[in-house]
Amino acid sequence: MRLFPKTMLVRAIQNMRRNLFLNVTTIGVIAISVLIFSTFSLIAFNLASFLKIWEDKIEVIVYLRGKTPATEIESLLNKTRQMEGVEYVKYVSPSDAIGFLEAKLGNQKNLLEGIQPTVLPHSLEVQLKKEYRNSTKIGEVVFQLKQIPQIEEIQYGQEWVEMFSSLVHILRLTQWVLGGLLLLAMLLIISNTLQLAIASRREEIEIMKWVGASPSFIQVPFYIEGMIQGLLGAGLALFFLFLLQRIILLYIPLSMKDRILKIPILFLPPETLIGILLGGMVLGFLGSFMASMRFLKVSE
Amino acid sequence: MTHVSKTYPSQIAALADINLEIFPGQFTFIVGPSGSGKTTLLHILFCSERPTRGQVIVNGIDTTQKSFKKIYQLRRTIGMVFQDFKLLRDRTVAENIAFALQVIGNPQKEIQRRVLEILEWVGLLGRERDSVLTLSAGEKQRVAIARAIVNNPPLILADEPTGNLDDQMAGDVMKLFMALHQQGTTVVFATQNKDLIQRYSYPVIQLLKGKRVDDEIGIEVKAET
Repeated sequence: MRLFPKTMLVRAIQNMRRNLFLNVTTIGVIAISVLIFSTFSLIAFNLASFLKIWEDKIEVIVYLRGKTPATEIESLLNKTRQMEGVEYVKYVSPSDAIGFLEAKLGNQKNLLEGIQPTVLPHSLEVQLKKEYRNSTKIGEVVFQLKQIPQIEEIQYGQEWVEMFSSLVHILRLTQWVLGGLLLLAMLLIISNTLQLAIASRREEIEIMKWVGASPSFIQVPFYIEGMIQGLLGAGLALFFLFLLQRIILLYIPLSMKDRILKIPILFLPPETLIGILLGGMVLGFLGSFMASMRFLKVSE
Repeated sequence: MTHVSKTYPSQIAALADINLEIFPGQFTFIVGPSGSGKTTLLHILFCSERPTRGQVIVNGIDTTQKSFKKIYQLRRTIGMVFQDFKLLRDRTVAENIAFALQVIGNPQKEIQRRVLEILEWVGLLGRERDSVLTLSAGEKQRVAIARAIVNNPPLILADEPTGNLDDQMAGDVMKLFMALHQQGTTVVFATQNKDLIQRYSYPVIQLLKGKRVDDEIGIEVKAET
């Protein structure tokens, strides 16, 4: 059967023009729904990328027991280097630690006056291989380190890493739960709008049937209409999301800029943008399909 | 049409055991008062209603078979004309006629040529760009007839096409149907107008309360494709 694609597209656009207000309203509602969904995506994406940057910088600090003899340190270093997941190990002596503290305190280094390096423990800075720099893999290395009796304490900011990972996880979950509800709402909105559009063109559809229009000739423009609505709604939402991100970046107080700008605030990657646009089209199609199933019984 | 009955869910019998046969190229009047079943009969022929019982063969196709699905293809061989014209009010004369050609995928050039040709035939050449809202009732019916015949269907079903027209206009419209008949088109013309039936000596099928009450009994509606 010939489908006359160009004619179908032209008819879909003509139909949209004839029901301009209805179509603009639908596109607006889709845009708001997609905007909410993609805002969550953007936040989750940025937090995940922030977590990634943070994880890349993760290192494990191992504090040795006070009485660990200096002769054992070399063998400890070797033992740690041989562990799976360890890329590099650096020994930090108590005097190195004091030097580091003094450098950190700068003008206030006099606070350290009277403190002997011997009060500080010997420590090892363990840098992990890239694939081990995440909250689950890091645990495996920490577990191996804990088996060494000379080690007193291990620090790697575990609470922060775990909390942040949970936050990203919750955000992703919220995004999909809320997204799912929004998608359902969008489906119903598109379907209802097209039902109204179909009702407003009932006479025309009747005449089409009488003069021998095929079911596809009647239905396809409605599907195209739904897809255009979905695409325009999603496109509009992404445009507003982009503006929103720019405005937020513009209005970050100067005092915060120095700190925040070290963390890049990213926009959604191209594959996500394409996914959202295609998702909008698919939703539009499903909405119009639902409407046509209920209101376009073209076999009679 | 063989032993055709139509009963609506409200248990109203619109047609009861109707048998009739209309031959290709025949002009047939279906007459009867309001509620006699004329419109139901035409709608069954047009497949916009299904009979409760009986067999209907239109243009050689048994439309009552369950396997029959492509109603739209059959409708391309039937032109339907209504009492209330059923024109698209937001379109011009030409757009209304072109609609029937666009729907079945004719190329634009062919549509333009055919629309002008048919407008000339119904006597409305020069009015193609006028909105249908500016036309008189007789002109509207001529546009509706043009739309119904623009695809050259072998069968025309007309449901009281002169019902909304004065005598002069009705006469003009009737001339168009007679011309179609002379060209070999089968015409089934439902009307309540007794003057019209008396003026033209075509076969008459008379309905009363859903039953056939004339003497002519046939079994099939047929037209050449």
